[in-house]
Amino acid sequence: MSKVMEGRPAFQTGGRRVSVVRHDARAGVGMLTPAGVVILAVTIFPIVYSVWMSFNNIQLTENGFQFTFNGIQNYVDVYSAPLFWHSVWFTVYYSIVTVAIELFLGLLIALAIQNVEKLKSVSVVVMLIPWSLITVISAEMWSYIYNGVYGVLNAILQGLGLIHSPINWTGEPVTAVIALMAADIWKTTPFVVIILLSGLQMIPKDYYEAARIDGANGWQTFWNVTFPQLRGSIAIAGLFRILQAFGIFDLPFVLTQGGPGSTTTSLAMLGEETLFTNLHFGLGAAVAVSTVILILGACLIFLSAFRGMVGEEAQ
Amino acid sequence: MKNKVKRWTSVALASSAAAALVVGCGQTSNTGSGANGSASTSPSSTTMVNVAGVRIAKPTHLVNYKNASGTIVWAESFTTGPTASELVSAFEKKFPKIKVKLQVQPSNTDTNRADLTASISGGSPTPDVYMGDVIWPAQFAHNQLAAPLSDYLPTSFWTRFSNGLVAGATYDGKVYAAPLFADTAFLYYRKDLLAKYHLPVPKTWQQLQQEASYIVKHGGAKYGFVWQGADYEGLTCDFDEYLADAGGSVLTNGKATLDTPAAKQALSFMRGLITSGVTPQSVDTFQEPQSENVFTQGNAVFLRNWSYAWSDSQNPQSSKVVGKVGVAPLPTFAGHGSSGYSTVGGWDLYLNPHTKNLAAALQFIDWMTSPQAQEILAANSEMPTIKAVADSPSLAKYSPVFALLPKVKFVSRPSQTPNYPAVSKAIYDNVNAALAGSVSVAQALKDANQQIQQALSGSGSGGL
Repeated sequence: MSKVMEGRPAFQTGGRRVSVVRHDARAGVGMLTPAGVVILAVTIFPIVYSVWMSFNNIQLTENGFQFTFNGIQNYVDVYSAPLFWHSVWFTVYYSIVTVAIELFLGLLIALAIQNVEKLKSVSVVVMLIPWSLITVISAEMWSYIYNGVYGVLNAILQGLGLIHSPINWTGEPVTAVIALMAADIWKTTPFVVIILLSGLQMIPKDYYEAARIDGANGWQTFWNVTFPQLRGSIAIAGLFRILQAFGIFDLPFVLTQGGPGSTTTSLAMLGEETLFTNLHFGLGAAVAVSTVILILGACLIFLSAFRGMVGEEAQ
Repeated sequence: MKNKVKRWTSVALASSAAAALVVGCGQTSNTGSGANGSASTSPSSTTMVNVAGVRIAKPTHLVNYKNASGTIVWAESFTTGPTASELVSAFEKKFPKIKVKLQVQPSNTDTNRADLTASISGGSPTPDVYMGDVIWPAQFAHNQLAAPLSDYLPTSFWTRFSNGLVAGATYDGKVYAAPLFADTAFLYYRKDLLAKYHLPVPKTWQQLQQEASYIVKHGGAKYGFVWQGADYEGLTCDFDEYLADAGGSVLTNGKATLDTPAAKQALSFMRGLITSGVTPQSVDTFQEPQSENVFTQGNAVFLRNWSYAWSDSQNPQSSKVVGKVGVAPLPTFAGHGSSGYSTVGGWDLYLNPHTKNLAAALQFIDWMTSPQAQEILAANSEMPTIKAVADSPSLAKYSPVFALLPKVKFVSRPSQTPNYPAVSKAIYDNVNAALAGSVSVAQALKDANQQIQQALSGSGSGGL
């Protein structure tokens, strides 16, 4: 197609040439249609349908779902439930803390691996193991580590003399959140490392040359050369992580079951509980839509803070 | 080019939005499959009869399933083991005209419920018969996910079951489930330790606490008594037992009654087990596997658990206390009788309202609750639900747990409301908080009472 367009003025028509262009375009759209239909059916349609569900009172009858339009009543009910706001608060500060720590740790690890001479690929593989384990399985493993009676963590801490009696990790509100965050950071830091590693490898070597010639020490090199070049990768890693962290479900579901009480009930868990345990479909849809709005808001805030840096990355 | 992309995208979004609205609006006037063989749940003003202590409505569409034929799908939750296939082979041998296809369900009860809700609410005719938890009838009946069995089966059908089981399967005067096998809780104890310190099997909770404390102090075991105190449905089961022992109940005449001296005694005792050191603090993170682990590894004197814990404790591959375990009915509080209450657990058979093989499904349910099938269940360590098998003295040969059955006093969870999950959550959230020491016993009961009332009224924010 580009062969036809190259160097020709836009208004020149030679009947055959234009129809070839239009034919190619039509063929292209035609080939995209099956994929487009699938995306429409599997992604767009359920989303729009869920939004519609959130504006209805839904009863299960013998003839299937019965929708009764009730405006924003579901949203009023959801927003007046203290449990919802607790979930929002927990999800927000959980996401902020874990993403911040992961970005920091990820940066350190990426810098370390970048400078490893031998066994670099081995280091990368070993570092990726937590990420590659299925969350449900590693969460179950963590629950045994954190067990208050026969857990390994308490045994180690007591053996080192750091604590005198076992800590009830998943049974107390404060330690449950810390335990959850630790398990999450352990699992997803490798993801950040991989993105930052690729960003690091894109920094031209001559920048480092120039810095060395100018007599910069390690810290100055990092702050003035590495970090500015890396801001784009950090922004991308942060964006992905925020998207994931706001929808966290499998880790708290297996490790703490949202407890103690509702301390670690994330928004996704609240939605699942409302929908499938309590069978309140309209309310559950309202929770889901509110979660999406929250995530979109968070991403927009994050993006606007890093707007210039993501643009640099694209160059 | 960019404009074209924009235009096509907006067309796609608009058309899918229109499609969604059309489908959504179309739901209200959607008529289901009203074929001859399918079940109907139309309300009827029939007379009520008293059957085995329960008031149920007379059948409205009695079905004669003597010559039923066809294929039915049975969604079973045995997951592992030969029980399901043994039952199916025996059934097909007796009724060669009916074929049963097995559909294996997830073992986690909530995942199982989500799976069934998704298929049945979508109008799927299969599975025709499915296994469900004993606490589902009200919720499933209210949401048209189960058909009222009492409409199709003669009232004499319900007299075969042991006391208290049919009541739990009833909602709004109709019975929605046939009890398949029961499960209940027992006190497991280290008979070698009790013998060593010359202590009898405790009959009261106070006695249990003293004996456990004594043995731990003298180095007989690391922990005295382990049970399930985590923030989940199992805690409701444990709490209900102490509550019934103290003479209280969660609901009285449909209203929450947890702000009573009986409830206070029950919860204070549970918290007291922890503060006195008889039970480890981490019991508030224990579900069945964790508590059983502590016991089978030889680290606890007493364990409260379901009937399967017996076979687990006698399995030499995973248990260190083989041959050292005794089982007894749960104790009660002093002055409240000779033995304690045990929560009713177990699984029932439900009927899919959209089934196309009503007669075959009913024949299957009838046979599964007959002596032949219940003997097969007993041989696989599942407690039978019919009097003919449960009260027979030969049952003891399968497990010492079964020998105790006639002595067990059952208490049911308050699952007669469709909002039971929210009611249960109100109980276990607050009891767990009290066990953790985050709130006082009085405050926890007050909060639980209030949240249960909200859940019962089914209001939006209460049932979120």
